[in-house]
Amino acid sequence: MAGRGKLIAVIGDEDTCTGFLLGGVGELNKNRKPNFLVVEKDTSVTEIEETFKSFLSRNDIGIILINQFIAEMIRHAIDAHMQSIPAVLEIPSKEHPYDASKDSILRRAKGMFSAEDFR
Amino acid sequence: MGKAELEECSLSLDEKLVRFMDQLELLEEKRASLNSLIEQGWFSISKARYSMGNKQVSALQYASEIEPLVCVHARTLDNGEVDFCTERVKQLCRNEPGKNAIEDIGPQEEGVRRRIKPKKDIAEKEASEEASGEDAAEVTPVRKSDHNPQQDPLKWFGILLPQSLKQAQSSFKQVIELSAEIATLQSAVLSTRQELKHSMKHKLILQEAQSDKEED
Repeated sequence: MAGRGKLIAVIGDEDTCTGFLLGGVGELNKNRKPNFLVVEKDTSVTEIEETFKSFLSRNDIGIILINQFIAEMIRHAIDAHMQSIPAVLEIPSKEHPYDASKDSILRRAKGMFSAEDFR
Repeated sequence: MGKAELEECSLSLDEKLVRFMDQLELLEEKRASLNSLIEQGWFSISKARYSMGNKQVSALQYASEIEPLVCVHARTLDNGEVDFCTERVKQLCRNEPGKNAIEDIGPQEEGVRRRIKPKKDIAEKEASEEASGEDAAEVTPVRKSDHNPQQDPLKWFGILLPQSLKQAQSSFKQVIELSAEIATLQSAVLSTRQELKHSMKHKLILQEAQSDKEED
């Protein structure tokens, strides 16, 4: 177990999850909770947030991939995450292309600059 | 001395700023590749769904037990940055039949296969079952637990698969590799941001000290 790498978790719509599971990131067995959540139209924001927080609390997840439109629903939870591991990556979805201005990481990186800093 | 220190601080600040901009540019490039590959993957999945049917390519097809085939190693560097790299786990088969074994395609029978025998009394049947149990070495029992959860996820969707589904898998495999690179870059960007912040504060302190000296 010590030499074993960390998992890649996915929170996304059906096509996103299907794609990444085809890529081989999925884990699902009787003993542990899955490392992915398929978000459908009737999936509540509470469930998404709880799943995200549960992924953060697990020490065997290295990266969390999340569709940006889903990330917008739980933006406060994503902005509150300051640790390097797990890394949170926002990815586009079929109906919502990627918008760099909404990305938490890039907003944190941009936010430091003001006119004073360039004196 | 004060001026030299200020100049050194300014040069260090410039170098960090240039590094920060380079990292942002690289991050943007990788993001564009990632987005393009993901879109390619979705398009391939849609094509596969069109040829196989809606329900044939959906969450309903996911296996009940899944083992990850790729993992990510996170290494924290001295400067606080985290380096992510992916590793494909070698697909293991728990009961490897042997190198020359012929792959059995189709549903596997559960339990021991009984030989066809003429009808007998129950007592005689039980006695014969015990005897056949000893001879069962000739027939390999295939149990459900022999099912390999670490199989290629493509197999969840059927046997004869369209090329588009394999293309989708290939696209998403590349996306996974890129995701690790982007995670590393994001960590580097935030770390450089912190360094810039500290350097700017340090520069402000030096500037104030310099202006106090000049006033004196």
